[in-house]
Amino acid sequence: MKAIIIGFGFIGKRLIEVLNQKISLLKRIDRSFKVIGVSDSRGYIFNPDGLDLKVLSKISGTHEYSRYFHEGSSLDLIEEGDADIMVEATPTNIKDGEPGLTYIRRALSIGMDVVTANKGPLVVAFRELKRLAESRGCHLRFEGAVAGAMPIFSLINECLQGDKIIKISGILNGTTNFILSKMHFEGSTFEMALKEAQERGITEKDPSYDVDGIDAACKVVILANALMDRDVRFEDVERVGIRGISPEAINLAKRANYTIKLIGVIDRNLEVAPKLVPLNHPLCVHGTLNALHIETDLAKELTIIGYGAGKETVSAIMNDIISVMKGRLAGQSSLTQS
Amino acid sequence: MTLMLADRPGELLKALQPIARNGGNIISIIHEREGATGTYVPVSLIVDFPSYENFRKARMALEDLDINIIKSEEVVERVRFTVLLIGRFDLKKILEAKIKDLKITGFEVSAPTSKEFCVRLNIEVPKGEVDSAVNELKKISREENVLFISSL
Repeated sequence: MKAIIIGFGFIGKRLIEVLNQKISLLKRIDRSFKVIGVSDSRGYIFNPDGLDLKVLSKISGTHEYSRYFHEGSSLDLIEEGDADIMVEATPTNIKDGEPGLTYIRRALSIGMDVVTANKGPLVVAFRELKRLAESRGCHLRFEGAVAGAMPIFSLINECLQGDKIIKISGILNGTTNFILSKMHFEGSTFEMALKEAQERGITEKDPSYDVDGIDAACKVVILANALMDRDVRFEDVERVGIRGISPEAINLAKRANYTIKLIGVIDRNLEVAPKLVPLNHPLCVHGTLNALHIETDLAKELTIIGYGAGKETVSAIMNDIISVMKGRLAGQSSLTQS
Repeated sequence: MTLMLADRPGELLKALQPIARNGGNIISIIHEREGATGTYVPVSLIVDFPSYENFRKARMALEDLDINIIKSEEVVERVRFTVLLIGRFDLKKILEAKIKDLKITGFEVSAPTSKEFCVRLNIEVPKGEVDSAVNELKKISREENVLFISSL
């Protein structure tokens, strides 16, 4: 299998490092596995015989791999047409899903399997992309797009196939969990905790994306559409952020054995809002952890906890790549994670 | 519920123990001596249990003690939940809200010196009225420009 990677930022670079470390695992599944192209904002590198992962691991931009460097766009790399799978790792844009949406559309339409951790295209055009993948007989996998390394889609689609999902609720944003944990344990104000989160580099460039619940609302939309057969948009989510949470409110919650967490809820309604969470509830996890509580008709209640962003997300991308590889080898029929 | 208890010392205590063990809070006890038959006297209890399941278990435990339950009715299942409101508002708005059979069973207010007023309310409503109660509280919070935080 020949892979291209669109986007050579934090996730793209980390993925290359992991592919380099775990190449023997991939080769055991498919001896022909190779990365043949990588693109970033400067251009792309392409070699149909495979790029050297060791070299790729050491460079900071595609232009540094001068032997195979082309001044062109990511779309040009996709159009080279030699790849079987595209890993899309461009920055998230929830307004119109671009540029990732165009790349995913194009890759699927020419018959490439797609793995992405990018919420934007999925929030904007989930149904369209799902239909496109199915019509072209391509895989579209996006485990890393929601709750990073936590295998939520794999768990539900592969281990709960006979269950009806009744409700999903959880902490879907690690930054707000970090801030609220600081307020809970150290008595910090919202402003102090946000500043510390920014200093640690765990907020988005625009912190409103985290603290106003925008990121969590995107994940609510993806979960609802992919796992509960809904057709909802970002605007359908009732959203309240955590800016108004005061230390006094945290103290009042603590005195009644609660803490406050930003919780996304998917049932009849879609909501992201601060909630009182009992201290002994499985969703009461702290720091940058994410947690999802799933209620189904048969299994009843399940909770999954893990890291929802950062380098751990590569775990989900690797699993998606391997699932596609195994699916191709087995001539698998399940193409999308919904 | 009305129990038929033997009219001798210690019988009421025996009956109350399984109720207490199952979290029952006695609201009232009436010895209906006018309804006494020989050595037995009816005792009517109004009890608040944390859940229907607790009530069911207490009733079974009473039956295991051979206590005759002659009436057990009007079970009103109620749900308790906690909410937090951040911002200045008139608590009367909630007390006067159109929420069916709302009871505020407890509250705590942040220190009066604090910049941000907030209050934690323990609320009780009949089962089945939780969603409408939460929606009404949300509506009041929006009107009063208050941040409303419900429990999970």
